[in-house]
Amino acid sequence: MRAATWTGVNEVSVETVPDPAILNDRDVILRVSRTTTCGSDLHLLGGYIPAMRVGDVLGHEFMGEVVEVGSGVRDRRVGDRVVVNSFIACGNCWYCRQELYSLCDNGNPNPGITEGLWGQSPGGCFGYSHAMGGFAGSHAEYVRVPFADVGTFVVPEEVSDDRALFASDAVSTGWMGADLAGTKPGDTVAVWGAGGVGQMAARAAMLLGAEQVYVVDRLPERLEQVRQHVGAEVIDYSTTDVMAELRERTGGRGPDVCIEAVGMEAHSTGVQNVYDQVKQQLRLQTDRPSAVREAIMACRKGGSVFVLGVFAGPVDKFPLGAAMNKGLIIRGAQVHGQRYTPRILEHMARGELTTEHLATHVMPLEDAARGYEMFKAKEDGCVRAVFLPHG
Amino acid sequence: MDLNQLIGRATGLAGGAGAALLKQLQHVRVPGAGQASATDDPERAAQRWRAVTVLRDPAEVSASLPAPLAALGDRVEVRVTPAPGDRGAELAARYRGTPTEQQVGDLRAALRESKALLEVGEVLRMEPQPHGRRAATPQGAALEGAAAAAPREGVL
Ligand SMILES: NC(=O)c1ccc[n+]([C@@H]2O[C@H](COP(=O)([O-])OP(=O)(O)OC[C@H]3O[C@@H](n4cnc5c(N)ncnc54)[C@H](O)[C@@H]3O)[C@@H](O)[C@H]2O)c1
Ligand SMILES: [Zn+2]
Ligand SMILES: [Zn+2]
Repeated sequence: MRAATWTGVNEVSVETVPDPAILNDRDVILRVSRTTTCGSDLHLLGGYIPAMRVGDVLGHEFMGEVVEVGSGVRDRRVGDRVVVNSFIACGNCWYCRQELYSLCDNGNPNPGITEGLWGQSPGGCFGYSHAMGGFAGSHAEYVRVPFADVGTFVVPEEVSDDRALFASDAVSTGWMGADLAGTKPGDTVAVWGAGGVGQMAARAAMLLGAEQVYVVDRLPERLEQVRQHVGAEVIDYSTTDVMAELRERTGGRGPDVCIEAVGMEAHSTGVQNVYDQVKQQLRLQTDRPSAVREAIMACRKGGSVFVLGVFAGPVDKFPLGAAMNKGLIIRGAQVHGQRYTPRILEHMARGELTTEHLATHVMPLEDAARGYEMFKAKEDGCVRAVFLPHG
Repeated sequence: MDLNQLIGRATGLAGGAGAALLKQLQHVRVPGAGQASATDDPERAAQRWRAVTVLRDPAEVSASLPAPLAALGDRVEVRVTPAPGDRGAELAARYRGTPTEQQVGDLRAALRESKALLEVGEVLRMEPQPHGRRAATPQGAALEGAAAAAPREGVL
């Protein structure tokens, strides 16, 4: 089959690779209908996440049709149209029972790598390096999905592929941030980053009853999407003092909930220098937490900060004093998609959650290298490049 | 420390490069990160109980030890105790005497596999999987070694 693979720092190729096979009883094989780029892939491509091997198949946000079912699969049938969560979770361990699916004890067969880095190993993820399990990704015609009863969800008929796709990762992640940060009716929520994840965090906050929602970014097309499709207010950090603006708009309090959806490649200046920085600074301690710092500083006393952006190592100048003295709750997580996907699909079916606008560039899988270039450079207003492996 | 440097250094080591890489990762000491306390001397480290918590009734776990752990036979002592807060059973094992690194690796893998068997009923298999062309490079070999060694490494 054809698949998009990582062939070096900031290098993606499309090549012919062997087809996947069922390896465990609870696996299914999926014929991938749509698979998309995620901001997390940029950290991978840039070489920030350890343990990528040349030839690894990329991709973790996807949907498709079940074409083969392992003998231990109970609830999925050949022909089911499903959306798949990015993290691989067994459904049986204590973490899964707590609905902390991305922390599954049995989802990462290579726990030694991340235990070494972080003291404990989170679960495994499709197409996200050997540190996160070494699972082949979804940018391919077919993909093996372990624990299919837990990590795949049948898409209601009234939800189109274009909408359902993002329930996989972007919407689940955003929803998790808004939910686990404790967003309550009447709250003011600020979100850093207007990518797929930040936009969906803002939308989820609104659906959870937040009264005022602000999204911070500097890319005009993305801020426009927030206005049009999410219905939140926007702040352009390249021209506005974000903390002053938030103070002014919140009666001096600061937001109750601050959600960071930017990640380790955050910048405080122009986009152009990012790629140079990525190339130059492949060091573990160069995670750039500028949006996390700002979120902590902007947050109201006793408020909560949720880190959705991906970080891999230690960071500098973390404002611990502000966090401690202001009594903040700080939390982060990889996505517990299985916890949120069912309700997200319901909101999608009712038309309360639309995501089609995120798919700014839809193209054949053969064009994946170009798709990633555009996504990385945010060229032509690219928010997500969606690949169609079967045309 | 620079991750690439780390990988590069591990690659330079003859044999078992992957495991060496992982061991180094466990000891990345960046100012502000890592460990403030004393560290175990190697003998104490090797002799510690190694434990996984399994979401199963402790009585069931004791009744029949999973095959990977049973295979280590008399060389290890095994202990099953209830985990607090309805978290199931703590399944712990340690070698009688001072084991080699190889043996500690065997025990880590056995405990992890036992946990998967008890909770899931099978151990995730990873081979064969689709991947593209891979030229033989020292970095690639180190990573492959690291991935292959990972089930036997870590802080368990
Ligand atoms: N926790 C999870 O499970 C999970 C899942 C998916 C993605 N992520 C992470 O979430 C982050 C966002 O993902 P995405 O797909 O939306 O990425 P993206 O690259 O499309 O969007 C990131 C956005 O952040 C903006 N940005 C950069 N610096 C900023 C700053 N200082 N202040 C405000 N905005 C800034 C960029 O302009 C861009 O629009 C990434 O780090 C990604 O790895 C995490
Ligand atoms: Zn993602
Ligand atoms: Zn689990």
